[in-house]
Amino acid sequence: MDPARLLGPAQIDVLAQLAVATILLGGIYALIAVGLTLIFGIMRVVNFAHGEFLMLGMYLAFWTFALYSVDPYVVVFVSIPVFFVVGLLSYVLVMRGVIHASHNVQIFTTVGLSVVLQNVALVAWSGDFRFVRPWHLSTVLRAGSTTFNLTQVVAFLIAVALTISLVAFMKWTHAGRVMRATAQDRDAATLMGIDTDRVYRLTFAIGIAAVGAAGVLVAPLYSVYPTAGLQFVLLSYVVVVLGGLGDMLGAMLGSLIVAAVEVAGSYLFGTAWKEIFYFILFILVLVFRPAGLFGQRGAETLGV
Amino acid sequence: MSFLVRSRRGALVVFGLAAVTPLVVRDAYFLDSLVLILLWGALSAAWNVAGGYAGQVSIGHASFFGIGAYAAALMVTRFGRGPWLGMLVGVVLSIGAGFIIGFLSNRLKGPYFALSTIAFSQVLLIGVSRWRGFTAGGEGIPVPFRPGFATLGLGHVGWVYMALAAALLCYRVEVYLERSRIGYQLAGVREDEDAAEALGIPARRLKVFAVTLSAALTSVCGSLWAQYVGFVDPTYVFSVDLSVRFALNAIIGGMGTALGPYLGSILITLLETYLRATFSGVKTGFAGIYLIIYGTALILVVRFVPEGLAGIAARLRARRAHA
Amino acid sequence: MPRATVTIIVATLAVVLGGEPAAVRGQSPAGEYKIGVLEPLTGPLAFEGKRHLEGLEIVRDLINERGGVMGKKLAFAVADATDPTAAASEANRLIAREGVKIITGTFSSRLCGAASEVAARHNVIYWESSCVDPRFNKRGLKHVYRTEIDASGFGWYNVEFIAKHLAPRLNLKPNQLKIAFLSEDSSYGQGVTESARQRAKQEFGMQELMLEYYNWTTLNDMTPTILKMKQLNPDVVHHIGFGNDAVLFWRQSREQNFLFKALVHAGATGYGGGDFGKALGNDANGVFALLEPGPGFRLEALRPEGQQIERAFREAVQKRTGSYPFGAHQLAGSGLWLLKLVLDRAQTDDPEKFRAAVMSLDLPIGSTINGWGVKFSELGQNANERVQHYMLQWQNGQLVTVWPEEFTTLRAKWIPLGSWDQRK
Repeated sequence: MDPARLLGPAQIDVLAQLAVATILLGGIYALIAVGLTLIFGIMRVVNFAHGEFLMLGMYLAFWTFALYSVDPYVVVFVSIPVFFVVGLLSYVLVMRGVIHASHNVQIFTTVGLSVVLQNVALVAWSGDFRFVRPWHLSTVLRAGSTTFNLTQVVAFLIAVALTISLVAFMKWTHAGRVMRATAQDRDAATLMGIDTDRVYRLTFAIGIAAVGAAGVLVAPLYSVYPTAGLQFVLLSYVVVVLGGLGDMLGAMLGSLIVAAVEVAGSYLFGTAWKEIFYFILFILVLVFRPAGLFGQRGAETLGV
Repeated sequence: MSFLVRSRRGALVVFGLAAVTPLVVRDAYFLDSLVLILLWGALSAAWNVAGGYAGQVSIGHASFFGIGAYAAALMVTRFGRGPWLGMLVGVVLSIGAGFIIGFLSNRLKGPYFALSTIAFSQVLLIGVSRWRGFTAGGEGIPVPFRPGFATLGLGHVGWVYMALAAALLCYRVEVYLERSRIGYQLAGVREDEDAAEALGIPARRLKVFAVTLSAALTSVCGSLWAQYVGFVDPTYVFSVDLSVRFALNAIIGGMGTALGPYLGSILITLLETYLRATFSGVKTGFAGIYLIIYGTALILVVRFVPEGLAGIAARLRARRAHA
Repeated sequence: MPRATVTIIVATLAVVLGGEPAAVRGQSPAGEYKIGVLEPLTGPLAFEGKRHLEGLEIVRDLINERGGVMGKKLAFAVADATDPTAAASEANRLIAREGVKIITGTFSSRLCGAASEVAARHNVIYWESSCVDPRFNKRGLKHVYRTEIDASGFGWYNVEFIAKHLAPRLNLKPNQLKIAFLSEDSSYGQGVTESARQRAKQEFGMQELMLEYYNWTTLNDMTPTILKMKQLNPDVVHHIGFGNDAVLFWRQSREQNFLFKALVHAGATGYGGGDFGKALGNDANGVFALLEPGPGFRLEALRPEGQQIERAFREAVQKRTGSYPFGAHQLAGSGLWLLKLVLDRAQTDDPEKFRAAVMSLDLPIGSTINGWGVKFSELGQNANERVQHYMLQWQNGQLVTVWPEEFTTLRAKWIPLGSWDQRK
């Protein structure tokens, strides 16, 4: 496929639309990755079940919409405390026991959790594709000849808001500082009197709350089904590593980069290749700058 | 070396039983389960070479499995030659891929390494899916069944022994790693890489060696699998699910022990086939129940018995020693 | 020696656990005839697998109301085929433990390939109702049959529709048509698309503007593709979708105001699934999907025996699911009904006699469910010409039959599609 080489008005339109697609898609990825980078960054746990919590958020949006006709944008506020509790429960029931175990144990615990959640959803709600169709789903905003899908725009804005509030939380609150300290050096933190178990509990709960809310917000954009999380989980990891562990602004930037690679790759070479591009990018980053594009060199070895 | 004697005894039981079973049992399903147990066990043992003995935990071993499967399938369907030649080609290609992963293992640690192996397997998956002209892409390759040893067209009994041979091969490699000088050096690298290097052990080379060896063995099993099941599909053979499965058996059975992967495979494969047979047909609505049980069992085992079944044996041994 | 002890314990467990489902149940008590049913009931294909099973159960009940097969009640031994290894393993189980002589299923090409190999090795009949891999029947396996046409047949019909029905109504000659091909990249999508491309180019000389494949499970956004297509300006978009990719494409095309004259799809997934209509309501208007017959279907166009069973089938589906049969129901159901016809004729499941009965069946179009006829080739494939496929179109939230015109009371609308807001 040979896109226009000349930059005539039609081509500028295309570029503008591609840029918009990148930003909006990046917003969705950021929303999903922000919770992951928090958990991964502070707890050093590779949570394979991350996509499944996203899926649960999507189902929450679906059922509240189908049964009570509540708009997802209202549900999202409810979802944050709901998934906060879900995160707490998951931590206490599943994660706490393996937090001090080897990486492999953690990986496989979360893999088991992922299988369980997927199939609980399958048994409870069947494998049918569901849809959330609020009135604003097909609403588009137009600026010139560029269109913005309203639902995606809102998701983007909320992603930004969420990231900013999490950054603020981490930087300026006591709890945030405590979490960062624990991430830097778990043992030193314990020596300083920090209850690391409590920190992890909070971290996990916040991380899950974030991804649950993300699920509610993206539900109108994609189908809802038990394995819906698979689409996003690997991609979220790419974003997280690109942006640097635990670095939430990095996650936002990483999301934009991944989205840009996807959109440009799809446009220039066809949708078939898009994942290859960001996986290769992923491997390159891991090899040359494992702390992420924006992280400090060597940061990746801390606590690992 | 008394621990070796012990390990031999357990192995004798397992492999001996496997060898004897086809002589007494003729039931096709039982034999099929046995083949799968041995094959998954061999694959986990191959994974164990890199994961347990060298400490390089990868969740991307499906890369090598897929390479082996496709090499065998393509050699038969596209080039009209036998699967054994395909297996050889697969091994060569997997060694190449193993070098890449080995290189990555020297630059990355822990979860980063694991993630990079996943990315690698996904790149292969996508690449193979797109290369429609050569690999038939997403359509997959049906592997024809032609009776005979050269074409790996064996009956159920034949397959048991074939899988047993593969299992013994991987087991033998593991035992070699336990006994040999290279194995000791590898153990040193696994426990504390910096200290090992300080002692003059060529840690980086050894890690690459372990990963490539592991890759080659996995590829061999992949080629066998392709001929056994008869259909090679990129979304399955390169999947993360498969990679996880290889590691799973080894972890449950006991990483870093020679027999562990096989014990793990026995438990997991049987659990899976038992649950699937019992629950899947019950009602459409209950189709996922066996997977829920499987996932929960995974969480519990990994949490409460992290050293695996072989670890239980070690505990019992220790207790006896104190008694 | 503790490790040996543990090993012995594990091995014993193995024998015990392996033995439990090992109780060879064999054929059921007198009065029942059991066949094996292998469908994906878990994993990503679960939603279709479940529908297939539903269709099978409905037709099984219809069969039993009419005397069953070979004088006995038809019963199922159901197995879940999550992936190729599981498919092969479960096929083994059905044969060895449940003692079935016939296995039916299996929806997905990756599963039917592996499972049918196993069946072939045990001389068990494999009665496939919907996987569309063109290579399925070309492996030299004598007792493997398929009641549905393969993917190449879909592509064939699609192009037939485009060339013979759409082109004239667009006032274009087929070789003036500009067509863009988009498809999900599984065996299904590739099979249909490739055969459509071939026929379009070689037989009709249509101009192919674009060909693109993608993975439907990881697809998040079709904007780049749509922007490319906008610039190429095709008349017809031939898009084989599987799930939410269809919804995504349609919705985003609307957002980008991508205008084209028609969209053609084939099969019971993606655009052809009920979920597409549920997701988009009236916004789905205009899309064509090649399928089994839907509303508007003129039962009178069928032969009397066909009318009878088709009516009974629809009523049964309506009663059980509350809706018109979905493609999955129709494929599975008609496959099972054809199996019954064969067994009625053969009165045995002996593979050779069964095969003779299969080959002797020769019914014209309109004889059974979906208005199909039957005529199997030497390779065990039901003929394209007998397995009538119909072009349906989304009209006001429903998929209705619009072609071939002699089989339906309804007509295709919105040719060309026109602007997005005008399709009422």
